[in-house]
Amino acid sequence: MNADGPVVNVHVLFFAKSRELANTPRSTVDVPTEITATELLDHLVSKFGLTSIRDNLILAHNESYIDNLSDRILFKEGDELAVIPPLSGG
Amino acid sequence: MDHVKLVNDPIDIAHIHQLLADEGCGASSVFVGTTRDNFQGKKVLSLAYEAYDSMALKEMNKICSDLRSKWLDLKHIVIYHRLGTVPVCEASVVIAASSPHRSEALESVSFAIDQLKTRVPIWKKEIYEGDNDGEWKENKESIRPKKSKSGFNYAACPCKVEESHDVPRTLVQIRVNDAELTKRLECFVNRKRDEINSQNVIDFKSSFVSSDKDLSDSCARTQSTIIKQEQSNCHLKVRRVNNRCGPQQMEMRPNYELELNKLMGSRDGQTDPIKEMRKSLPNSRLQAIESYMGLTTDNEENIFSRIKRVENRLLQLESISPEYRHFTKREPSSMEAAPPKKIRKKSYSAQELSAFIQKIKDGSEFS
Repeated sequence: MNADGPVVNVHVLFFAKSRELANTPRSTVDVPTEITATELLDHLVSKFGLTSIRDNLILAHNESYIDNLSDRILFKEGDELAVIPPLSGG
Repeated sequence: MDHVKLVNDPIDIAHIHQLLADEGCGASSVFVGTTRDNFQGKKVLSLAYEAYDSMALKEMNKICSDLRSKWLDLKHIVIYHRLGTVPVCEASVVIAASSPHRSEALESVSFAIDQLKTRVPIWKKEIYEGDNDGEWKENKESIRPKKSKSGFNYAACPCKVEESHDVPRTLVQIRVNDAELTKRLECFVNRKRDEINSQNVIDFKSSFVSSDKDLSDSCARTQSTIIKQEQSNCHLKVRRVNNRCGPQQMEMRPNYELELNKLMGSRDGQTDPIKEMRKSLPNSRLQAIESYMGLTTDNEENIFSRIKRVENRLLQLESISPEYRHFTKREPSSMEAAPPKKIRKKSYSAQELSAFIQKIKDGSEFS
């Protein structure tokens, strides 16, 4: 993800299986201010060793699900990203 | 009022009832989800829940507002979810609603637990006997990454069309997103299917029903009148089948009657072909025999004299070439003389033949 444009630093939260694989509940990462969800996911997966559960992950940006992986996401400094494995509440 | 909470201690059901209480409500529905002590034959020792707290509360509040927009009469809504370690058989989630009548309360609670399992970011890990690692569970309802239905990402193939480029008049350029394109393709396919179906129905229906329709290019093999079965939405009853040839073939098919008459020698196409055929039938059969025998006759001649001439001709042919008889012979009648006994031809060996030839040669030498 060697973006030419401006880069911002955002928080990344990990839960459940992804937390165990990443070996940390939270981290920070530099991302371009505009990126597609697919590129972002691939970047996080490779950086935090989440390959085994990649196809089941969904991302949340500022506490909202990113429903479509082809969406373009706009980031501001200090935004919050969450890596969300399949839910099991209830 | 909405009561939404993530708690670390056991949930007090009596307290939930107090939250629901309202003088105007005749119904309170409470769903309690409890933890099981087994999973696929494995004994569950303990369960641990964790949540993305802030987002979980946000999603739970969203569920409340969804419920209120769907069931306007709801009075109180309670959504409590327990986090941390939960012993087996204890409540992990409680969803409750009160309303003046029971249907709203019952339906809304059912809807809410489905939504919670789908959207609220909470995870459960089960620790089994003899397995220290445990297993993260997955709700089958859980929100999951969308997979493209067609498996083809249109957006990944940007189509660059220069503005100056002239698009042929026969083509239509459509600029829409994937979802819209998929929808349009689906609509197009559906419409085509409907067209074919309706055309098939028209083909199948009797031409008497819609006589104004031109059926010359119809492909229907049968034409029938179909009527709707009583008390059924889809079953059609075939009332009659006209099992004629396909209408599209009518022009190509020979008119058999006319052709037959021609063959039978009826030269008068003006008169009724059937009558003409019957009248000329014995005549034409006789004519065929006569032409085969090489006789030239006049149609107006007496039929008996014509038969006599055919007989004479047969006798003459038999006398000049006896083998001809084999071709005209029918079953031997009792009147006829028994056929002459066949003379067995003597067969010769090669030696006898050479001796015979030698004899002839000798004879010729003598003479």
